[in-house]
Amino acid sequence: MTTNVTNVKGRFSAREIAYCGLFATLMMIGANVSSFLVIGGVPITMQTFFAILAGLVLGSRLGTVSMLVYTLLGLVGAPVFAKFSGGFSVILSPTFGFIVTFIMVAYIIGKMVEHSRTKTMYLAAALVGLVINYVFGTTWMYYAYKLWAQAPEGFTYKMAWLWMLPPLPKDIILSIFAGLFALRLRKVIKID
Amino acid sequence: MMDKLIFGRFIPGDSFVHRLDPRAKLIFVFAFIFIVFIANNTATYAALLIFTILIILLSRIKLYFLINGLKPILILMAFTFFLHIFFTKEGDILYHWKFITIYEEGLRQGIFISVRFLVLVFVTTVLTLTTSPISITDGMEVLLNPLKKLKLPIHELALMMSISLRFIPTLMDETDKIMKAQTARGSDLTSGPIKERIKAVVPLLVPLFVSAFKRAEDLATAMEVRGYRGGEGRTRYRQLKWHVRDTIAVLSIVVMGAVLIYLRKYS
Repeated sequence: MTTNVTNVKGRFSAREIAYCGLFATLMMIGANVSSFLVIGGVPITMQTFFAILAGLVLGSRLGTVSMLVYTLLGLVGAPVFAKFSGGFSVILSPTFGFIVTFIMVAYIIGKMVEHSRTKTMYLAAALVGLVINYVFGTTWMYYAYKLWAQAPEGFTYKMAWLWMLPPLPKDIILSIFAGLFALRLRKVIKID
Repeated sequence: MMDKLIFGRFIPGDSFVHRLDPRAKLIFVFAFIFIVFIANNTATYAALLIFTILIILLSRIKLYFLINGLKPILILMAFTFFLHIFFTKEGDILYHWKFITIYEEGLRQGIFISVRFLVLVFVTTVLTLTTSPISITDGMEVLLNPLKKLKLPIHELALMMSISLRFIPTLMDETDKIMKAQTARGSDLTSGPIKERIKAVVPLLVPLFVSAFKRAEDLATAMEVRGYRGGEGRTRYRQLKWHVRDTIAVLSIVVMGAVLIYLRKYS
């Protein structure tokens, strides 16, 4: 069932292509899960969760590619980003940085668990992913307001962070959950 | 949910812009993003605005859909506009009320930057409204072909994008079904402490992953059985054709760039 017929060096096998496409789709579901799922009045997105899973389950190479596919899909106009948005104009939106981090998150996390596949490493990697996501994404958002909108001195880095605090607890829990969940998923899919 | 998706982006039609080759449209939009930044005075911004209105008229897209595309950056636009109005302190005072003072230069800058955002968003939205994601993917694959020399897997990326697009409606239906099934079994996501609620997500995610992975496996098997071996020697079902109108579109953006440079210098 799980032999890679065409896995020439550097090439993608049919199975790898299918899984990358699949994870890009799962990101879309994760981004818009709030339209099906409202947890106690707070609409949640599970993009970070799925990006972390992509890194943990698919590894650095395929994880990065699947996140890249997701980003490109959105830019090309498929309504895959949060609130069913998409289109090239999203690149101007201050929160585009978070989408860029998903690519980095998948890569770095993938590298970490390829190094050692222990439960501790999975959890550590998931949390590192979350930190990258928040730090880089918030910094991007701050500079987006600074540069594109040419915001004056009154808008501080601290203010950008205050906006990001409310969803933080939920994302920490989801990241830990992603680490544990990925361990089980690895047993189900065999791509490498 | 599905209606939102169809509503979301591509609107089929038969206008001049619809019939353009996706490659021409991609080149056009990329060039447009750059020439927008040439504009620096009233004449250039007015020219950009007229050019954009012309494109919208040619695409025969209803204004409602364009405004919809504006939503993602509406906050940024409003933020920028008000920042410039309240914080720029140059030029004559236009309006004064208690601690609010509006200067001429502030209003001018606010309007310019808003117009820049507006034309960028409108033109990029016209691209995604008049071209189906599948044909943009096709166009991108062809345009990015030179990058294959750098060993970038352009064909594979395009294929993954198409696969993902195909999976979207299926997985959304699936998620919807699973949610309803678990609600019927008494799964409760709306009350209790956060920890309990996250636990309640598990019965949703497990069946979702099981069915998603099964689909990916089926697809991979089907591809292997049919002898998929990358882009080499592949023939295409959807053929791209370059027409005279595509050349005109690309030329028009070059002319627009020249006009902007002229207006920037001599007005």
